[in-house]
Amino acid sequence: MTTRAEFIARIRAEMGKTRGLPPAAPARRPERPRAAAEAIRRELAERWPEALERFRRELEQVGGVFYRVPTLAEAAPVVAGIARDRGARRLVGWHAAEIGGDLVPALAALGLEAVSMPPGEVASAAERRRLRELVAAAELGLTGADLAIAETGTLVLRTGPGRPRSTSLLPSYHIALFDRTALVESLAQAGVVLESWHADGQSRRDGAVISFITGPSRTADIELTLTRGVHGPKEVHAIFVEAPAGG
Amino acid sequence: MSQADRSIPFRQRADRAMQDVFLQEALTIATTKFIGLRREAFAGFPEGEGLRDAAREIKEATLQHLDRYLEQLVENVERLGGRVHYATTPEEARAIILDIARQAGARIAVKSKSMATEEIHLNEALEAAGITPVETDLGEYIIQLAHERPSHIIAPAIHKTKGQIADLFTKELGRTVAADPEALTKLARGELRAKFLEADLGITGANFAVADTGTVVLVTNEGNGRMVTSLPRVHVAVMGVEKVVPSLTDLMVFLAILAKSATGQKLSVYTTLVQGPRRAGELEGPEEFHLVLLDNGRIAQLAGPLREALYCLRCGACLNVCPVYRQIGGHAYGHTYPGPIGILLTAMLNGPGAVKDLAHASSLCGACADACPVRIDIPRMLIELRREVDEKRIAPWTERIVFKAFGWLLTRPALYRLAASVGRLLQRPFVRDGAIRSLPLFGDWTRTRDLPMVARRTFRERWRNLELEPRR
Repeated sequence: MTTRAEFIARIRAEMGKTRGLPPAAPARRPERPRAAAEAIRRELAERWPEALERFRRELEQVGGVFYRVPTLAEAAPVVAGIARDRGARRLVGWHAAEIGGDLVPALAALGLEAVSMPPGEVASAAERRRLRELVAAAELGLTGADLAIAETGTLVLRTGPGRPRSTSLLPSYHIALFDRTALVESLAQAGVVLESWHADGQSRRDGAVISFITGPSRTADIELTLTRGVHGPKEVHAIFVEAPAGG
Repeated sequence: MSQADRSIPFRQRADRAMQDVFLQEALTIATTKFIGLRREAFAGFPEGEGLRDAAREIKEATLQHLDRYLEQLVENVERLGGRVHYATTPEEARAIILDIARQAGARIAVKSKSMATEEIHLNEALEAAGITPVETDLGEYIIQLAHERPSHIIAPAIHKTKGQIADLFTKELGRTVAADPEALTKLARGELRAKFLEADLGITGANFAVADTGTVVLVTNEGNGRMVTSLPRVHVAVMGVEKVVPSLTDLMVFLAILAKSATGQKLSVYTTLVQGPRRAGELEGPEEFHLVLLDNGRIAQLAGPLREALYCLRCGACLNVCPVYRQIGGHAYGHTYPGPIGILLTAMLNGPGAVKDLAHASSLCGACADACPVRIDIPRMLIELRREVDEKRIAPWTERIVFKAFGWLLTRPALYRLAASVGRLLQRPFVRDGAIRSLPLFGDWTRTRDLPMVARRTFRERWRNLELEPRR
């Protein structure tokens, strides 16, 4: 088997033979990513309505559905409405702390079988299996969103304790709640925020995955006919909550 | 023809493809559609041209310090609890993955679309070891059921009709289904959902890997990449060494142009950034994460004539615009990677001998270089490959002699002039409607091409007369 040392040594040997390469540099990274991300947020404190409008347009362009509610509590009837229109009842959601509030009682009162995911990992294998079966059987998945990228209509979700990967993946209908602190205008700005998350690194209890979600799952593999929901959700609903969580 | 059968010569494979009426129609529809979508995506994106330049520069900058970036990637993946493996050859890559699969006790391996695993023929090796590989990209799933190979980098099953797919599903899955994309997709969703939940091993490629963070990045539209990296207990990612990028900031530059070039989307539906195995506090995610770094001919090109091909993002844009690909489709090329870039990658992986015919399967029109998001000068490298194939005497002797004679003639003006006059006389029996439609000894060449006739008065003759005229 090739070892790391052999592998890298061969690369170095070949690199040593190159002649006359053009000058080239990688992209300029923000020197202080956290400050740069803060600066973007400050700018957007005024411009966010335009960014939100562009996000809505782009999300709808890729087949997503946009809603706007004044407070988190008012998201519950929207979620229940989505479920009712589709004849769906079973909902799984991120843990209340990761969404910014507990919608489960309100959703249950509106006739849904709503279950929140546990706030952290689960030691019992049997319990993990039960939870997976629950998620696999659920029709609706309710999550938050860490970023909403206006340029592309993209929701960015970080995994972590209380934010399992499958909530936005296995159910047919994904519903994401976000507020204006999540808005960025462009992929480049999203890049700055990603760099700042990485700079925060060890101080947070992040999960291993960051997912960019741009509309519902799609394929055109059969005769180039656009078909939705091949593996992931066939619908994506983004609910904008005007009152930022905790603010 | 639906299979890459290299036992027959390229020319016959291409012939068969061109006689396949359905394939011709499918190719035209698909490539035309992709071209239009790509054009629209960039038309509404004025910063695109600058980002393409930036992306190209990042690729070059990364290759110039590839050792450093790979070491950084390795250290970060290991810090996060992942394991890194080094594969010089396809055999070695297969052995590494089989070993991981055996230790995981895997019986089923779910895969998301990966050209790197196609390249190392992983599925055959898994099957031989008693592990069932399941391709989960819908197009790949279809061709796996049909025991075929992908015909397009991003649309692997464009050569099949919905009717053929319905018959295939009925035969292979024992379920009757209407020849309707919606119904077919729903059936595949159900079948594959069960596999995702059952599989012990998830195998992916990597569109990018970020050195600074140890992140493997997967771009999919269906969501299978997320399934494969979330549900099985073990995740193995296989990547060519050239896929590393320095930072997340660099990554965003590529994301901004990749989907636009491939499918005309602003962004693919899912971009999944995977940083090692499941973390403490996470409910789900693989317990083990393995990264297999693959050489397979790439490292030798760092200082080789095909270096620039290492920039390739595998978007497929050069296939769609290539007049040759549009005629013959992916299978006729006979190797894992089709199209203009595929010829270069085949030479990289298998040596120039593998492309002695393919090196000529290009009109050198340059459409590929224009469409390439990182502006790879594919025609330049194709010409160099042709020269290499000639110099190493890989090309057939007839071809080498003809070109040698022609080259000799071109450097001798008097003889060239004489040859033009002789040619003008000799061509008479063969000229029809101002062109030579067939020529003895050159039948293979003129079968699909017309040769322009030697002009009644050549440019040189007219020039000489002009010079003789008194100056005004």
